[in-house]
Amino acid sequence: MHPRTFAFVLTAGMFLAGTAQAANSWGLPNEETARFEAKVVDVLCELKDDCPTDGGAGRRQLGLLLDDGTLVLPVKNSTPFSGTQVELLPFLGKKVVADGLFMTNHGVRLFALQFVREAPDGEWRGANRFLKAWAENNGYTADAKETKQWFRHDPRVKALIGEQGKLGLGPEADKAFLEE
Amino acid sequence: MLRISAPLLALTLSLSAPGLALGAASTAMPMKAESMELTGEVIDTWCYLSGIMYAEGTAHHQCAIWCAAGGVPVGLLTEDGDVYFIVEFEGRSDTLADPGLLEIQTHQISIDGDVYERDGLKYLSVNKVLKDEGIVNLTHEEYGIQPFGE
Repeated sequence: MHPRTFAFVLTAGMFLAGTAQAANSWGLPNEETARFEAKVVDVLCELKDDCPTDGGAGRRQLGLLLDDGTLVLPVKNSTPFSGTQVELLPFLGKKVVADGLFMTNHGVRLFALQFVREAPDGEWRGANRFLKAWAENNGYTADAKETKQWFRHDPRVKALIGEQGKLGLGPEADKAFLEE
Repeated sequence: MLRISAPLLALTLSLSAPGLALGAASTAMPMKAESMELTGEVIDTWCYLSGIMYAEGTAHHQCAIWCAAGGVPVGLLTEDGDVYFIVEFEGRSDTLADPGLLEIQTHQISIDGDVYERDGLKYLSVNKVLKDEGIVNLTHEEYGIQPFGE
C-alpha cells in the first residue's frame, strides 16, 4: 500500500470511527463486516484458567467469547498502531455488542474492533479511546499533534528506536540507508 | 452486513439448549497445551496478517515497535508460515506492550514453549528463549521503511 493511501486509510478510519456505528471497510483480506454479542474475557483465563480479577490491568490480551464457546481474538482498534485492550478493559466480564471487521489471511481469522457497546443496548462508543488514554498518560491533550502521532512521541518508543534505529540495525545503519 | 452466519447461529442455538452446559462457556476450563520448540521471527501480528503493508524484517522493524507499544499482540512467525500469538513470555503474563518483547521485535529466536490451539489460532506461552540470533531478515533494501518510507 502506498504510504499516502495508508495514511488516508488511517485518518478515514479514525474519523469514521467517531461518527458512525456501522463497520467501515478497510480493504482487508477476505474482509467481512460483523456485529455480534460476546463476553469480554481474558484470553489466558480462557486458555489456562489463570484469571486475575483485573485482567492484568490492561496488559493481557482480551478476547471476545461467543455463546457457543468460540473465542474471537480482537487485535486492532480504530486508531493507528494500537490494540484493543483500552477499548475492552472497561467491559471485562461483561457482554458487549462488538462491531467491526473479520479478516482471514494465512489461514488465521482475526477481528478488528471499530465500535463497541455494553449489551444489549448500551451507548455505542468508537474503538478509538487509545489516543485519549495515551494523551492522559503522557501529558498531552487529546487533540494535540503529538497525540495524533503518538507513535512518534511515545517516550519508550523514542528511546528504543533511538537505540536500535528504525531498521533495528543501529542508528548508523539508518543514516547510511536514508542517505542512499 | 454479516452478523453471525446461519450455521454458527444454529450451532449457538443448539448449544444453548437446556442440558448442554457448553453453551454457557462462562467458566474457563484449562486447555491442554502442547510443548514445542519453535524458531521464527518476532512479528507484529496485525500488520503481517492484515497485509496492509510489508511486515517482515528490517523494513518493518520501526512499525513493529510502534504496534507492540500500542498493545497489538506480538507473534512468532515460524519458517513453515505459522503464526503464534504470544500470550506469556518467560513467566510474564502481561505481554501487551511488554518491554522485553518490544526489545526483541524482528529478532530471530528459538524458544521452548507451550502451544494452545483454540478456534483456529495458535497461542504461545514462551517458557524460555533458547537462542536469540538478533535481526537477520534484511528486507529494507527491497521494501524501504514501512509504512511511511522514513
